[in-house]
Amino acid sequence: MNSIPIEYYLILSAFMFTVGVTGVLIRRNAIVIFMCVELMLNSANLTMVAFSSYLGQSAGQIFVFFVMTVAAAEAAVGLAIIIAIFRNKLTVNIDEINIFKW
Amino acid sequence: MDASLLTENLSYILPEIVISAALIIIVLFDLIFHNDKRIIPYLAVAGLAVAGFFIIDQFSFEGSAFATSSSANNFGMITVDNFGSFFKLFVVCVSILIVFFSFSSEEIQKTFDRLGEYYALIFGMILGMIILVSASDLILIYLALELLSLSSYVLAGFTKLRDRNSEASLKYLIFGGVSSGLMLFGISIIYGMTGTTNLYLINPLLQAPNLNLITVSFAMILIFTGIGYKISSAPFHFWTPDVYEGAPIVITAFLSVASKAAGFALLIRLIKTTFVTFTSPDGYWQLINAFDWQALLIIISIFTMTLGNFTALWQNNLKRMLAYSSIAHAGYLLLGLVVMSDQGLTAILIYFVFYALMNLGAFYIIMLIANKTGSEEIDDYTGLGSAAPFLGVSLAIFLVSLTGLPPTAGFIGKLYIFIALVDAKMIAVAIIALLNTVVSLYYYVRVLKHMYLQKSDSPKDAILPSTGQILFILILLVPTLLFGVYFTPIVTFAKNSISLLGF
Amino acid sequence: MENSQLLTYLLFTPIVGSLIILFIKPDQEKLIRWMGVFISGVAFVISMIIYVAFDSSNPAFQFIHKVLWIESLNVSYHVGIDGISLLLVMLTTFLTPLTLISSWKGITKQVKMFTFSMLFLQAGMLGVFIALDMFLFYVFWEVMLIPMYFIIGVWGGVERIYAAVKFFIYTMFGSLLMLVAIIWLAVYASEPLGYFTTNLLELYQVGPTIPNEIQYYMFMAFFFSFAIKVPLFPLHTWLPDAHVQAPTAGSVILAGVLLKMGTYGLLRFNLPLFPQSSVHFAPFISILAVIGIIYGALVAMVQSDMKKLVAYSSVSHLGFVVLGIFAFTTESLQGAVIQMVNHGLSTGALFLLVGFIYERTHNREISYYGGLAKLVPFFAFALLFTSLSSIGLPGLNGFIGEFLILVGSFQSQVLDSWWFTIFAASGVIFAAVYLLWMYERVVFGKVTNPKLEGLTDLDAREMFVLIPIFILIVWIGIYPSTFLDISDTSVKTILDNVINNTYNFFS
Repeated sequence: MNSIPIEYYLILSAFMFTVGVTGVLIRRNAIVIFMCVELMLNSANLTMVAFSSYLGQSAGQIFVFFVMTVAAAEAAVGLAIIIAIFRNKLTVNIDEINIFKW
Repeated sequence: MDASLLTENLSYILPEIVISAALIIIVLFDLIFHNDKRIIPYLAVAGLAVAGFFIIDQFSFEGSAFATSSSANNFGMITVDNFGSFFKLFVVCVSILIVFFSFSSEEIQKTFDRLGEYYALIFGMILGMIILVSASDLILIYLALELLSLSSYVLAGFTKLRDRNSEASLKYLIFGGVSSGLMLFGISIIYGMTGTTNLYLINPLLQAPNLNLITVSFAMILIFTGIGYKISSAPFHFWTPDVYEGAPIVITAFLSVASKAAGFALLIRLIKTTFVTFTSPDGYWQLINAFDWQALLIIISIFTMTLGNFTALWQNNLKRMLAYSSIAHAGYLLLGLVVMSDQGLTAILIYFVFYALMNLGAFYIIMLIANKTGSEEIDDYTGLGSAAPFLGVSLAIFLVSLTGLPPTAGFIGKLYIFIALVDAKMIAVAIIALLNTVVSLYYYVRVLKHMYLQKSDSPKDAILPSTGQILFILILLVPTLLFGVYFTPIVTFAKNSISLLGF
Repeated sequence: MENSQLLTYLLFTPIVGSLIILFIKPDQEKLIRWMGVFISGVAFVISMIIYVAFDSSNPAFQFIHKVLWIESLNVSYHVGIDGISLLLVMLTTFLTPLTLISSWKGITKQVKMFTFSMLFLQAGMLGVFIALDMFLFYVFWEVMLIPMYFIIGVWGGVERIYAAVKFFIYTMFGSLLMLVAIIWLAVYASEPLGYFTTNLLELYQVGPTIPNEIQYYMFMAFFFSFAIKVPLFPLHTWLPDAHVQAPTAGSVILAGVLLKMGTYGLLRFNLPLFPQSSVHFAPFISILAVIGIIYGALVAMVQSDMKKLVAYSSVSHLGFVVLGIFAFTTESLQGAVIQMVNHGLSTGALFLLVGFIYERTHNREISYYGGLAKLVPFFAFALLFTSLSSIGLPGLNGFIGEFLILVGSFQSQVLDSWWFTIFAASGVIFAAVYLLWMYERVVFGKVTNPKLEGLTDLDAREMFVLIPIFILIVWIGIYPSTFLDISDTSVKTILDNVINNTYNFFS
């Protein structure tokens, strides 16, 4: 069953994580930044599930369910806030949302 | 899990249950009786009071609840001990003050029709915080942290009166999302290395000889990112000034005191249960070699307070200045943890009590003045000493206390931190902290200078606080002065509250 | 008189008094002014009672009153005095009512807050001089900063805000360093003693046993804090600003009492707690003191502003005091103590006189004046008398102090060099030059400035302020034993302690 070694999963999740962090740092669109944050969360989820399966334990998979719920809540809150900003500014580019200096 | 065990476990989380019930009642009440919103704050206070009662009740016992079947020694997800109870009580007391705080806030009163949502979100934060301070399982820690964060993102932009509200909210959200993502990745690594998410079970596993220390360090730094963001320590502080300036003042005050305290409680519990092997008789903690917390925290705390203090020097908005000052105070508080001893922990608890008094006081007065003048700019404080004598004198005392001059409570807080540092023979660090205090003197005194020494060009309207507002200020002001000269009860209380389960 | 609570009464008189004043309506200025004078007068009477009951032959601290204050830190409310503190306490209680009276004309706005600040300041100063617990000492030391900040900042001159902030930050920096040293000392002492204490008398036992390499650091931390307050060259830069910008009453208290807290701290803490380091650093500190004497005098010479001139003369005079302290002979220490009192009286009087004339003309430039002898003879005489006292004319007070210090430093085994004495003595000559030169330009000659016509002489109130000071100036000059006897035993105790702990220096 464990035909694919755990390292493969870990490398993939590390790659996803890096993509997520890089995206947060270089992208300027608030929605894309959000997607990158989701990518980070999902890479952690992947690690967790992989380890859970590798160790033969359920705790990691339970954790993933919670994380998915939280991610959904975060996305809801985040999109609501972005909409609130878009109504005022007609932009979601964070360089233009700059009453305070970043 | 049989019924008697469940009842016993539930009895450990009575305060959390009460807060959750209060949250639900507030939401339902808001839906059903939407014409009687005036009652909601009183419901909130009642809920907090009942929760406070159960927390005080918990001071007498220790225990661990909701152990999973796989965990040995019965260490569960929730830990009840004096340390956790202290912070729960702290959060609840601050929240009660915040409810009264909200009464006088014009920003909140302007959104009166959404008062139910407001208190529901506040209770979401409270619930997050009190679970956070007693959680001993990484899953629960993550959930509590997110509950706290999600509620505060919304509250930061709650009023939507000005553009800056939403902007504060967005910045808080982005930084929060990123740091919780980093933290989660760190947690997943720790889970993979140890096979458990329980802090108590991680402890012995970290002592294993063949552990890859670089991976542990990497994971711990990632986890610290999430906590560092909550306590707004540098270099994770970037959101702090913007959010503090943009959010309604009530929320700013709440974030700067309660949310920071919860973050600190988490950090302390994480270090102590996961990394400490035993406490030596003179109160020093022996740490597992897996990760050098002390070095990390020394650098972070010095960096944090220096950055906070120096950046505060050229702030012209008082809220923003206090944001940087709160960053600096996070640095001072971290110093209490740097020494890794019971003395240091006592100093942190003492400092938090005093910090809550003076910081809430300062924010409250700034809010009263902003209600009247609509501005938090320091130039608008010119000549305020004569226009609002009571507010002026009170703000002066709170600021003097934040500086840490006797005979105010702030001095005692700093004194205990310094004693802990000197006792740990970290005199160089103490001297850096002292130089920072001198720097901080400058910007606090700058406010006094504007209020009392400079003459305003145009005569100011007098600002007369109402009786209730004066009473609220006195509740904060009298202890600030009183604890400056007689602080034995607080010290005794703090000394009794440093015990964590198992250590 | 053991266990007497007189000191507590003395300390709480101004505190209670200032609280009473808070409850008087601000527009009743006359009542507030009289209340202030009355309260500080009561404090003076209490200090006289203490003086009468004081046993100057007893080397121990007297009138000790000790109540456990904070159990968790073992801190007590612990007060007591020896001869040195008694002299300074009397100086404080003597000068405060006089400065309050002197400010009746100069301070016209916010009289209530001014009187409140002055009384609060007095309580802080008295607390510093009588505290025998380091924690208590530190609290009073810091508490004093806030009223002084407001006195300079609210009622001061044009540049008052800059001066007030500078004063605050300089002093705060020094005192925080002292705080760390206090904690360090107490933590260090908790090992030999077995418990944590900030009781000065118990720490006296531990201090000399600290190994040198640690003691040096502690000594420097305390010294730095006190040196800023004294102020010792090169830490004096806050002083001209603060003195010049402060209102007259502020300057008098600043020069008369606050600066003495630095030298008092050296005598009370550095010498008994760290005798080895004191002797070790004595030459270095004495060099700074001598530089201060000459530098202060030379800078004073070129000042065009009278108040600035007096301010820099303080730097010079306090240099004498520090030299006297670190020469470690009975004469020099006695001289230093009496010179503290002298400087309080002479420089206080000089500031008062400059203040009185400033209230009339609103100008302090020396070149503005000339020929005052004809216009205001009493003022001219008072200025001459005070200047001569400050210069150190035999028969007046300044002579006694400076003479004792010079003789003492000449014999000093620790300094072991004549050069200190020679350079310091040149400071006396410079003092004569700058003060008499100023006097000549202000008082003699023809009246060149038409605006000076119609200048009024000192009135009864001003005379009333000056005459008690003049009486003391003559008294110390002619019969100094009255005052020297008070501090004699205490000075010898301090000196013996230093010698016993560092006998290899004195063999």
